[in-house]
Amino acid sequence: MTKNVLIVGGGTGGTIAANLLSYKLREEIRRGEVRIQLIEQSKRHFYQPAYLLIPFGLSEVSEAVKSERELLSESVELITERATRINVEDRFVETEKGKYTYDYLIIATGSVPDPSQVQGLSEGAHHFYDLDSSLKLEESLAKFNGGKIVVGVAGVPYKCPPAPLEFTFLVEDYFRRRHMRNKVEIEYLYPLPRVFPIESVADFAYNIMLERGIKANLLFNIESVDPGKKEIISMEGDSTKYDLAVIIPPHRGADVIIKSGIGDKGGWIPTDRYTLNMKNYDDVYVIGDATDLPISKAGSTADFEASVVSSRIADSIRGIKPRAVYDGRVMCFLLSKIGEGSLLVFDYENPSKPVKPNFFCYWYKMAYNRLYWNITARALLPGFGV
Amino acid sequence: MRLSEIKPNKIVDARGSFCPGPLMELIKAIKEAEVGEIVSVYSTDSGSKRDIPLWVQKAGHELLGVFEREGFTEFVVKKKR
Ligand SMILES: Cc1cc2nc3c(=O)[nH]c(=O)nc-3n(C[C@H](O)[C@H](O)[C@H](O)COP(=O)(O)OP(=O)(O)OC[C@H]3O[C@@H](n4cnc5c(N)ncnc54)[C@H](O)[C@@H]3O)c2cc1C
Repeated sequence: MTKNVLIVGGGTGGTIAANLLSYKLREEIRRGEVRIQLIEQSKRHFYQPAYLLIPFGLSEVSEAVKSERELLSESVELITERATRINVEDRFVETEKGKYTYDYLIIATGSVPDPSQVQGLSEGAHHFYDLDSSLKLEESLAKFNGGKIVVGVAGVPYKCPPAPLEFTFLVEDYFRRRHMRNKVEIEYLYPLPRVFPIESVADFAYNIMLERGIKANLLFNIESVDPGKKEIISMEGDSTKYDLAVIIPPHRGADVIIKSGIGDKGGWIPTDRYTLNMKNYDDVYVIGDATDLPISKAGSTADFEASVVSSRIADSIRGIKPRAVYDGRVMCFLLSKIGEGSLLVFDYENPSKPVKPNFFCYWYKMAYNRLYWNITARALLPGFGV
Repeated sequence: MRLSEIKPNKIVDARGSFCPGPLMELIKAIKEAEVGEIVSVYSTDSGSKRDIPLWVQKAGHELLGVFEREGFTEFVVKKKR
């Protein structure tokens, strides 16, 4: 009997997992013993890190979007439909058009930035967490002729934890390069008592802020935005004014997870931190932003996890007890300005020792866009990505 | 009620979390909790001993206790508003 591996969500994690499985199991697929199906609602694949760069003219739409079919190995069956229900008891996934059963399921439905969770956020603030918003912000920055810019995070978890810091540094650089720095005040709001979760990174980032005249407003958990008064109010009872606000919206799990009742309150799926199985279901795996794991939601996380999960499924199909386990590894770049970046690598056991900002990290991050399309997403060098 | 008898409404296992880290996980859990509920967070991050009490005080919640467990620290927080 043919074993069916079904993947829901063809973003970073789902695409890499599909390509890895099609390579690892190529003989079994050729003999008709294994079938790999991927359900993805969109024909297009998005490279989200480009959204951070687009507002500054450092990347463009053509570098952020490509065809999903072209990224996938030929043996992966792509189903361009929206999943409407996942039933892990009876092992099937329903879409708007059909019903798909499975022997192994990988859930890779990602996360959704949701401004509607915070009062006034959609009307009062910009963000750069989807392509349209990023393009709108590009326009507003180009037109901005002075005043106070506030950058912040309106809820946790949010994907790519360094992104607000990077945006702050890049916006400062942007106005400096345009000889407008003296007309622009920049304030960075953060929920923690320091500017980044990892202390060593927070220390060096804070020094950069002092050097470049950026104000840090800490222990500021955004509760609401008043678009009329142009004011942001915190859970702790503080407030700050702005002329242009760039606030990362709170994230939740995908609609299909919430509707299927398989997530927690935020729509995150309870996941075993080592095996990546959905808790209590050894035929269901969860990768990428969709898990409830207390680690960074990042493309690199999804990449490393896809590698573990595809190896476990290949083992099971071959009758071997799955061997690969996830060690919590995450790898993230942090741009400090045009021409300078740092690299953070950590796992469950080891905190990060960030490298001193340098040109090579900047160059690699910029070049990585090409590597993503040609190598990472095609799973040619698994675990190589960022 | 004695401290040892406190039954948290939610346990957040943030062991091995450096980024976003235990305090971020706690903030998320407190946001989702109802006033009066108790959240307990497990941390292996040395920074938590400073961070968590700081935030709890600033945000107006109550730190019911800090316990050294085997290989991790447990923080028990009550949502007050
Ligand atoms: C501005 C920005 C900058 C970033 N920078 C970095 C960085 O520098 N480094 C890094 O590592 N990460 C970065 N990230 C994070 C990274 O992009 C995500 O963490 C990563 O894409 C997560 O992969 P995923 O597979 O879990 O989810 P996604 O890649 O988001 O894919 C989820 C997929 O599921 C599909 N889907 C959802 N629901 C359904 C359904 N019901 N039916 C069918 N399909 C469905 C979606 O269409 C989507 O294609 C950044 C993100 C942003 C927004």
